[in-house]
Parts: sequence; C-alpha cells; structure tokens
Amino acid sequence: MAAQRRAKRKKKEQSEYFFDYSLLFIVLFLLGFGLVMIYSASSYGAFEEFGDTAYYLKKQLTAIIIGLVMMIAVANIPYRFWEHFYLIGYFVSIAIIWLVKTPLGVESHGATRWVKIPVIGMNLQPAEVAKLGMILFLAVLVCKMGRGVRTFRGFVLMMIFPLPAVAEIYLLTQNLSSAIIVMGISVLMVFVASPDYKKFVIMGLLVIAAAAVVIYLAVSSAENVAAGESDNFRFRRITAWLDPESDPSYTGFQTLQGLYAIGSGGIWGKGLGQSMQKLNFLPEAQNDMIFSIICEELGLFGAIAIILMFIMLLWRMMIIANNAPDLFGAMLVVGVMGHIAVQAILNIAVVTATIPNTGISLPFISYGGSSVMFLLVEIGLVLSVARRIQLKEL
Amino acid sequence: MLSDNNHAAEDGLIQNKIAHRKKILAAFLIFTGLFALLFGRLVYLCGWKAEYYSAQAEELHERERSIKAARGRILDRTGKVLADNKTVCTVSVIYNQIEDPEEVIRVLGRELELTEEYVRKRVEKYSSIERVKSNVDKAVGDRIREYDLAGVKVDEDYKRYYPYDELASKVLGFTGGDNQGIIGLEVVYDTYMQGKPGKILTMTDAKGIEVESAGERRVEPVSGLDLCISLDMNIQTYATQLANQAMATKQADSVSILVMNPQNGEILAMVNVPEFDLNNPYDLPEGTSETLTAEEKQNLLNGIWRNGCINDTYEPGSTFKIITAAAGLSEGVVTPESSFSCPGFIIVDDRKIRCHKVAGHGSQDFTHTMMNSCNPALITVGLRLGIDNYYGYFEKFGLKTKTGIDLPGEAGTIMHKKENMGNVELATVAFGQSFQITPIQLLTTVSSIINGGRRITPHFGIKAVDGEGAVKETFTYPVKENIVTEETSAVMRNILEMVVSEGSGANGKVEGFSIGGKTATSQTLPRGSGRYIASFLGFAPAESPQVIALAIVNNPQGVYYGGQVAAPIIRQLYENILPYLGIAAYHE
Repeated sequence: MAAQRRAKRKKKEQSEYFFDYSLLFIVLFLLGFGLVMIYSASSYGAFEEFGDTAYYLKKQLTAIIIGLVMMIAVANIPYRFWEHFYLIGYFVSIAIIWLVKTPLGVESHGATRWVKIPVIGMNLQPAEVAKLGMILFLAVLVCKMGRGVRTFRGFVLMMIFPLPAVAEIYLLTQNLSSAIIVMGISVLMVFVASPDYKKFVIMGLLVIAAAAVVIYLAVSSAENVAAGESDNFRFRRITAWLDPESDPSYTGFQTLQGLYAIGSGGIWGKGLGQSMQKLNFLPEAQNDMIFSIICEELGLFGAIAIILMFIMLLWRMMIIANNAPDLFGAMLVVGVMGHIAVQAILNIAVVTATIPNTGISLPFISYGGSSVMFLLVEIGLVLSVARRIQLKEL
Repeated sequence: MLSDNNHAAEDGLIQNKIAHRKKILAAFLIFTGLFALLFGRLVYLCGWKAEYYSAQAEELHERERSIKAARGRILDRTGKVLADNKTVCTVSVIYNQIEDPEEVIRVLGRELELTEEYVRKRVEKYSSIERVKSNVDKAVGDRIREYDLAGVKVDEDYKRYYPYDELASKVLGFTGGDNQGIIGLEVVYDTYMQGKPGKILTMTDAKGIEVESAGERRVEPVSGLDLCISLDMNIQTYATQLANQAMATKQADSVSILVMNPQNGEILAMVNVPEFDLNNPYDLPEGTSETLTAEEKQNLLNGIWRNGCINDTYEPGSTFKIITAAAGLSEGVVTPESSFSCPGFIIVDDRKIRCHKVAGHGSQDFTHTMMNSCNPALITVGLRLGIDNYYGYFEKFGLKTKTGIDLPGEAGTIMHKKENMGNVELATVAFGQSFQITPIQLLTTVSSIINGGRRITPHFGIKAVDGEGAVKETFTYPVKENIVTEETSAVMRNILEMVVSEGSGANGKVEGFSIGGKTATSQTLPRGSGRYIASFLGFAPAESPQVIALAIVNNPQGVYYGGQVAAPIIRQLYENILPYLGIAAYHE
C-alpha cells in the first residue's frame, strides 16, 4: 500500500508541473528561421565589408547561444525570486540609459543607443534593460497595490511610474520606437490589472487623435518647408511615409526599397537566397528590414507563416498567463507578451509602410545580439512561470 | 510574500483572476486583430501592388545594353552590294564600376580623339551607363579593350558602309548613328532593313556590379531584310561618268541622268552630279567657310543631299511637246499628216509668241513640226484642244499627281489653276513653259505615252529578302491603264523616232539602233538671266521601247541647246548600255 502510495505520489509529482514545450519550440523555430534569414540577407554585404559571408550569422549565433543558456537558467529559477529586485530593476532601468552619455556610449546611425560593455566588448542597448526592468517593476507594483489598482489614483500611478524611463529613452537616445514599446508594455499591464475598459477606449481614441494632429502638422510643415522654413526629421519621416516615391533619395528611400522587396516577392516569393534587394539596395536588410527580405524570398506565404508563429507565441503566453499560479506570474507573462506583440506589430507595420518609418527590430528574427538575449531572458521568465502551473488546475 | 500582502483580498482573488483572464484574452484578440490588419496590408502589397513594385525593382536591378541588329543590305539588280555593314564599336562607361576615373578620362580622350572636357562630363555623370562614342573603328575598340579599364565597356555593333562611296548617293541615302535612315531609300525601306535590336540584360547590385550568379538574359537581335533594287550598278557608274564629264566640259551647275524601263517603271540609273560621299555625308565641300552656324551648315548639307530628279521642279520646255502632241492626237484635232504653216511667230489674243526659228519653218506636216520642234504649230494644237480639253488631258496623263516613286520628298507639279488659264497660258503650256514638273514626272508621263498608254509607277524597290535569300516581300506598284490608245502610242513612237533620225534630235542617234526622242532648251526664271536648262529625252528601240533616258544639264556655259548639249550624253550612254542590256541592234 505504502509502495503504491509512493508510486502514486511520484506520478503526481511528475505530472504536477508543466513545461511548455510548444512555447519553447515556437521560439526555437523563430530563432532558427531568423538565423537562416540573417545569413541570406547579410551574406552579400558581410562579404563585401568583412570578407566573411557568415560574419553576421556567427555573431548572432553566439548571442543566441548565450541567450539560450541564460533562458534555461532563468527558467529554472522560481520566478518569485525576482520579486525582491523590483526597485533595483526600476532604478537600474532609469540609470542605465544615462550610460549612453558617458564615454561608453556607442554612436551609430546618428544616434547614441548603445553602450559598450567593458571586458566582454559587446554592445548593449540600455533600452532592452529598461523593458525588462519595467516589466518586473510593474508586475510587482500591481500586486502591491492590490485592489488599489482599481482606483483612478492607482491607474494614474501605474501610468506615471514608467514615464521617466520612457522620456529618457526618447530624449537621450533619440529612440522613439523603444520609448513606444516601453509605454506600450506599461499600458498593456495596467489594462490587464484594471478591470475597467472605458479609460482605455478613451486613451486609444486620444492616441488616434494625437496621431492625426501630428500627421496634419507634418503635412503643413512640409508645405512650409517648401516655402523655405527649416524642417524637422520626424515630420519628414511622416511625409515620406505618406508618399515614399516623392522622396526616394532621403527618408522615403528605405521605405520604398522595402516596398520594392515585398512587392517583387509576390505570393510565392523568389525563393530562399534569391533576393535582389539585399544586394545593398535595402539598408538594414538583416536588421530592421529583414521582414521585407522574408517577403521577397518567401513571398506572402512566408510572411503568413511568420505572422502565424507570432500569434501562436502570444497564444501560448496567454494560456500561461491565464493559468499562472499568482497575479505576479500572470503580470510578468503579460509584460513579456506585450513586449513581443508591440515590437513585432510595429516592425511589420513599419516594413509595410503602414506607419511612418522608425527603427525597430523584429523579435527573435532581426540581427541584434542584445535584443535577442534579453528576449530569451524574458522567455526564460515565461517558462519559469509555466513550470509553476499545477496541472490539476488546467 | 505576495499572497500574504493580499491576504485580505483572498476571496476577491478568484474574481480578480476571472477579470484578468478576460483582459488577457482581450489583449490577445487586439494583437491578433492588428496582425490580421497587417496581413491584409501584405496581401495588398504582394498581390495587388506586386506587379508595380516588382517592375520598379527590376528597373533598379537590371542594366540593359542593346545589341544593334545588322541592317539589311541594299543590292543592285545583279546582286552587287551597294550598302553594307561593317563592324564598329561603341564605347560606354559605367559610373559605378569605374575605379580610376582619371586614367579612364586620359585613355578614352587619347584613343577616341575627344577633348578631356567632353570625356570628363560623361565619365563623371552619375548614370547607369553612359555612351562616350559610337561608330568607333574596330581596331580602336580592340585597343581600348586591351587597357582592361574597370567600368569601360566596348560593345561591337555595325555601321553602315557604302562600298562605292559616291555612287547613287542621293538615291541610296545614308543612316544615322542609331541605325535609322536619314535620306533616300534608307528612309523609305527603313522598316524592312532595320531589323530588331537585341538586348543584354544583366542584374547588378546597388553599386552596379554585375551579379554573376544571376546570369545575363540575352535577347538576340533580328537582322534586317536585304533590299533588292532595280538600279544597275554598271549603268549607274557609266551614267555618273558621263554626267561628270558633261558637267566639267560645259561648266554646268549640275547634271542629272535618269534611266528607266518604260514598260514597268524600274529605274536603272538615277544620277545627280555633284554626288556626295555616303561614307562621310556630313563633310562640307572644300573651301566652305568654317564659321557657319549649325543652321547654315544644315541648310548647306540639305542642298548637297537634294535629289534634283525628284525634289526639284523645272520648266520642261520642248520635251513637253510630246504631251501636247499626244493629247492632240488622242482628241483627233490633229493627225500626223495635218499641215501647219509657221511664219516664225504666232499671235495669241494680244500676244506675239515667237518660234525659236525667227525666219519660220514655213509649211510642214505635223510630224515635221515635231521634228523641227516648232512652237507655233504646237501652240495651234493646244488652242484647238481648248483650255478644258487640254487641262483634262493634263490631269488624265497624271501630271497633276505625284508619280509615287519610292523616294522621300517628291515635289508636286506647279501648274496654273484652271480658272486662271487663258489662251496665252494655254499656248505657253503647250510648248512646255510657264509651269513646272519634276524630271521623274516628265519621264514617267512620256513612258506611259510611248508604252501603249499604261502609266507606270517609277520605282527602285523590287523585293525584300532575308539572310538566306528567301523572298519575304515582293513590292508591287500601281499601273493606270489607257492613258492613251495603243494607236496614238504607236504614232507618237513613230514621230519621236523621226525627231531623232531626221530632226532636231539627230545628236541622239545611235549607230545600229532605232531611237525615239525629243530635245529641249528651257530658259530658267527669271527670263533673260542667260541661264538655260538643256535636256534630251530618248528611248530605244523606238518601235518597242525597253529603256528610256533623260539627261538634264543645268546652266551649261557656251552652247546651251538641248540637241547639242544633252543629246550626245544619251547617245554615248546608249552606245554602251543598249548592247549591255541585250537590246538587239538592227542591221540595215
């Protein structure tokens, strides 16, 4: 009997906890697919610049391996461990962005968005740290507020806390897209924590109205520029977005080249490796614009496959968040979900010229070491939450 | 621990959780909806706009170099090549591939004999491919290729080449740098001879470097068709010699000789001296002022390229009496036996019109009036016909319309309006004055009078053949029947034979052959300038004409009578070409 009970308990222990292999598989698929596409998109330029077709591939692979190790480590640490670090996470997020103003800052593309980590010699984008720090901080904050989150005061507090980091990212690193992502993550977490809908609908409408005003200002400023007034590069991005062909040599150039790539892929694509636009025509082909190379080589069907993979990834995260053993775990997963969703949607929207051009990478697929490492750490957190799900609750 | 902090809300936790789940689901659905919108955008871009964007991208990626098609040759009636192609090179520069612009500018400037400024402009122009010079000798092209300069392309193509330089220059015409006809047959048969240019399409990267793995697409050029024309190189050569000779001895401004088959309108020779060098058509004659403006230069060249037989009109003079006679015979107002009396002048209304023989020809029959080229007699015939009838025949013979020859720029007839014509005008027209026609018009009209009444279309083009010699198109030309009756035609042949054998055209006589013909001496406008046009029109054999020829000497010095100046040219011509054409001599 005792042996039977022990066996029963052992069986229970084995199946008690859950490991989300589907999520892991989707992430691994996206990473693998990303490596193939990075090699395809970058080999020509890499050979020209560094004499090594696999230059970018090797760097990305290294980052992914480090990232995977970190992911496994984080997945095996009970996520509640991080709860204690929420204030540190918050202040580090705000402080680290100042590093770009120190000699450690690395300038590229006319903006300082990276810091060089001494010794390792790797570039780190402080905004990535801020995203992770903000997810942790807000998840804890929601739990600490408890019912307070339902009040208007709670809502305002939740919205105000991330603002210093958002403002820093935008003002110090000229990185509008990361600022939008951090803000987006925060809004999503507040949205989930608060049972109210009305506030968010009003917020959404305000954002749309603000966008309309900005577009209007950009168009009229373009007219003023024609009349001889000085112009603004963000406004020019908007006019270039509205009519990329009017400005193919400046801001509209990248957008237009991306559209050429997407359009020439058609429904079935030219075939893997057959892109013409990656031959230095399309700037940032392996980076922000990699989705347009996917469209050119694999066509509409390749694009659908990627979009479906992202939707499945979000779906898995939704399942995990819904079944998380506590609010803290759920909010962590929601934060990560928001990060990946906002970034992927913005990236595809930029590439397809649905919104004005702003530098933003496609999660897991675009080239970029620090980005993929932090994403994998976030996936580690999600997996860690998933492991605490008791199967009987499912 | 969190759960401790939230202990008070333990009950609410379950409810809270349900609310959170709803919110998470809502977030997921919003994200999915946004992805769906983006997917719709992608469908629009990859489906609807795909063609547009891929065409734009293609344009961006492809470099196109064209391959000239070999232009069809021009062959004379015996198959001799009158216009051919030779291989030349086109030198271009590709901005993105140039590594050492100074070296390129130096080498191209030296080899192509161009100014540094000119080459620099092309080398430094930011374009996909820029042509520096075309029609470069193959030897020079090969030399440039040996420098192996990055960014310099030497493409071989064809250049028009005329083996006989000046021969029939105004007939054949020449082509421009893009293989298009500029004047002459090269223009009229351009579509046949041009062919279709081919293309080499290569894919390049953003720097313009060719992508080798993409390969190149080649669209082969289609050669143009060869044009077979009725011109006979030997006759043309000989006629040119005669014309040059006459121009030299008579110090004339120009001499034209036309040789045609009156039965079908095939032109055997068309000479307009001075001719010009087809291989260097833009060369100006020596001694030309070098300070000409571009427009003056072009006007001068247009004058040099002008084909007098077709582009210019003149007063035909006495040769036109053939038409008056034919009209009179057709209408029955005169027969060969009708008798006329010439006192040396004739009074028409209030005008006194003189005969060229001041003493008058006295009493003569109609045949003799033609042999003597008597003006009053032909004026009488014209007056007997009356203005309506005469004008009717003028139109019936086709003199008001163009001949339809296959050369560009044929001039129309300049004639009085019928309502403005009085008897004086009729009288002058009857002996070939006060109106103007082209030489080809005169020759064509006379041909139709002597060939039995068929107005033929003068022409050069016979057929277009491909490289293997297969006939691709045979050209046909309209013929208008019954211009005059066969009887009238026979009478006219007889009268004109008499003109040469015993009358004013005696200098056109050829030993052993029967020749019909008519001389003319016309004064050019303004009258009294002392400038004349001497001409002679002759055909052989007189009974059944196989060949008809017209010689026109423009402004001869000294003796200026057609019988003295122009008739001997045709005689010399016939002495040589009649045996050559296989026209049997009769033996008395």
